Amino acid sequence: MSGAMEADRPTPCLPGERPRPVSPNIQNYRPQLTSVLSILNRVTGLLLSVCAVMLVVWLVAGAAGPQAYAAVQGAISSWIGRIVLFGATLAFFFHLCGGIRHLVWDSVHGFELRSIYISGWAVVAATLALTAAAWIAGGIMGR
Amino acid sequence: MRRQDMRSPLARAMGLGSARKGVGHWWAQRISAVALVPLTLWFVAEIIVHLGSDYGAFTAWMKSPTVALLMILLLVALFHHTALGLQVVIEDYVHSSAKFAGVLVAHLGCCALAVAGILATLKIAFGR
Amino acid sequence: MTTRSMIIDSSDQAPRTTLMKRFPVPRRFHTTAQSRIQRGRTWPAPSGATRVKAFEIYRYDPEQAGNPRLDTFEVDLDDCGPMVLDALFWIKNKVDPTLTFRRSCREGICGSCAMTMDGTNWLACTRFISDTATPATIYPLANMPVIKDLVPDTSHLAAQYEMIEPWLHSKTPEPDKERLQSPTERARLDGYYECILCFCCTSGCPSHWWNADRFLGPAVLLQAWRWLADSRDEAKDERLDILEDPFRLYRCHTILNCTRTCPKGLNPGKAIAEIKRMVVERAI
Repeated sequence: MSGAMEADRPTPCLPGERPRPVSPNIQNYRPQLTSVLSILNRVTGLLLSVCAVMLVVWLVAGAAGPQAYAAVQGAISSWIGRIVLFGATLAFFFHLCGGIRHLVWDSVHGFELRSIYISGWAVVAATLALTAAAWIAGGIMGR
Repeated sequence: MRRQDMRSPLARAMGLGSARKGVGHWWAQRISAVALVPLTLWFVAEIIVHLGSDYGAFTAWMKSPTVALLMILLLVALFHHTALGLQVVIEDYVHSSAKFAGVLVAHLGCCALAVAGILATLKIAFGR
Repeated sequence: MTTRSMIIDSSDQAPRTTLMKRFPVPRRFHTTAQSRIQRGRTWPAPSGATRVKAFEIYRYDPEQAGNPRLDTFEVDLDDCGPMVLDALFWIKNKVDPTLTFRRSCREGICGSCAMTMDGTNWLACTRFISDTATPATIYPLANMPVIKDLVPDTSHLAAQYEMIEPWLHSKTPEPDKERLQSPTERARLDGYYECILCFCCTSGCPSHWWNADRFLGPAVLLQAWRWLADSRDEAKDERLDILEDPFRLYRCHTILNCTRTCPKGLNPGKAIAEIKRMVVERAI
C-alpha cells in the first residue's frame, strides 16, 4: 500500500545531510483491543462491500428469470457458497455491533477506558452469539 | 534524487489550509448507518425465514409493496454508506494521484450497483 | 487471561501478555532502507550481579555510517532504581555513555522521556521495570524521525500544535481584573488542561502513522478542544474552521489507542468526539 513513505515525509535536515531514519510504527507497536477491533471493523466493512455486490447479483439474477436465479441459488448452496455465507454473516454481525459501538461514541458516551474495554468484549461476544443464533435459526428453518 | 522540501515546519503543517468541510460526509455516514441497522436486520431475518423457498415464493415475496420498499431503502442506504466508507479507506491509504481515481470509481461503482439493484427489485415487483 | 487483564480500568495498567506482540507484518514492512533495524552488540552485566535483566534498546548514531541497530544491555537491578528511566541512567553511567535520551523531571510531568516500551508508549520515568517484559524492548516514540538513539524529532508535531493557535483569543477589550469564569465553566477544562504534550498518544495513533502530514493527531486535537471548551475564548468560529477538514480532524476513526496509552490518564478520544459534536451542532 502506498502510504506516506518516509522519503516523502518532511525531515528537517540541512541539504546534503543524511535523511533521518523513522522509528518503527506498525512493525513494532503492540496490538491492543482498541486497534484490533478498529481494524477488524474496517476489514469487515470491506468484506461487506463485496457482499453488497453479491446482493445486487442475486437481485439481478432474480429479475432475469428462474434459470439465472437457480444458478445463483446453486452457487450459494454449494459447500464453498456456504463457507462464504458463513463468513459474510460473521463479518456482518461484527460490523453491525462495532458500528453501534461507534454510534454510541458519536454521542460522546462510553469513552472511559473501562467502558471501552467492556463494550469491546461485548461486541466480540455479541458477534459470535448472533452468528450462531442466525445459523441455528437458519438450520431450523431450512428443514 | 528527490526534491528537498525546504518549507518551514509550520508551512508543511498548514499545507493548503483547512477545507472547512467534512461534517457533511460524517453526518451522512451516520444517517446511513442508523438506517442500515433495522434494514439489514430485517433483510437477514427475511433470508432466514425464507430459506429453501423456490423462485415462485421468492417473486411472490418481492411483489409485496412493503418488501419492495424496504429492499430499495436498503440498497440506497447500503450503497451510500459503502461509497462513503470506501472513500475514507482510499483517502487513508492512497496518497498518490491515484487517490482521486479511486474515490471516483468507488462512488460511480456504488451508484451503478445501487441503480442496478433498484431496477432489478422494481422488475420483480411489477413484472409478471 | 483473567478479568483483570481483559478489562483495563486505567491507562497505567501495563499491557500484559496478549495474543500478539505485534501485527503480523514483516519487520521491514513499509520502511525505507535507512530505517531498517539491524542487530547490535550485547553488553553483558558486571560480574557478581545476581538480579540481572536484559534491555533491548534502539540505537542510532547520525555521525556514523550504518542503520539503526538493537543493542542488548544486561542491567544489574540491585544497583538501579525501579523505573525504566533509572535503568537508562544506569546504562549511561556505568556501561555506555553514548546512550542518548531526553529526560528532565523524572516524575511524569515534563513529558521529555516519552518512548515506546514493549510496543506501547509511556513515560520512562513512570514505567516500573517490573512491569516490563523480559527482555524489555525500548524504542523511540513510534513513527518519528530519529535524531539520535531514543531522541525523536518533534518539530512537525510542534508545528501542528502551533497551527491550532493554543492561546486565548479575545475580541472584547481586556477587563480591569480577570476574565470571569464560573466553577462549572472552569470544570469543562478538567481532563484537558493537564496535557503535558508528551505526544505518546499521537505517536500511537495508526491514522497518524498513515497521514502524519495532514492529520493533526490526538494530542493537538485534545488541546484544540481545551481552547474550544474555554468559556473565555472568543474565537470558536475560527477554531472550528481551522479544524473542520477531512484530514485535520476527520482522519480520526475512533481507534482509541490514544486513550489507552496516555501516561496522564487523559482522554483524547473523548476530546475529539466533543469537537466532532461541536462541528455538527453548528452545521445543523
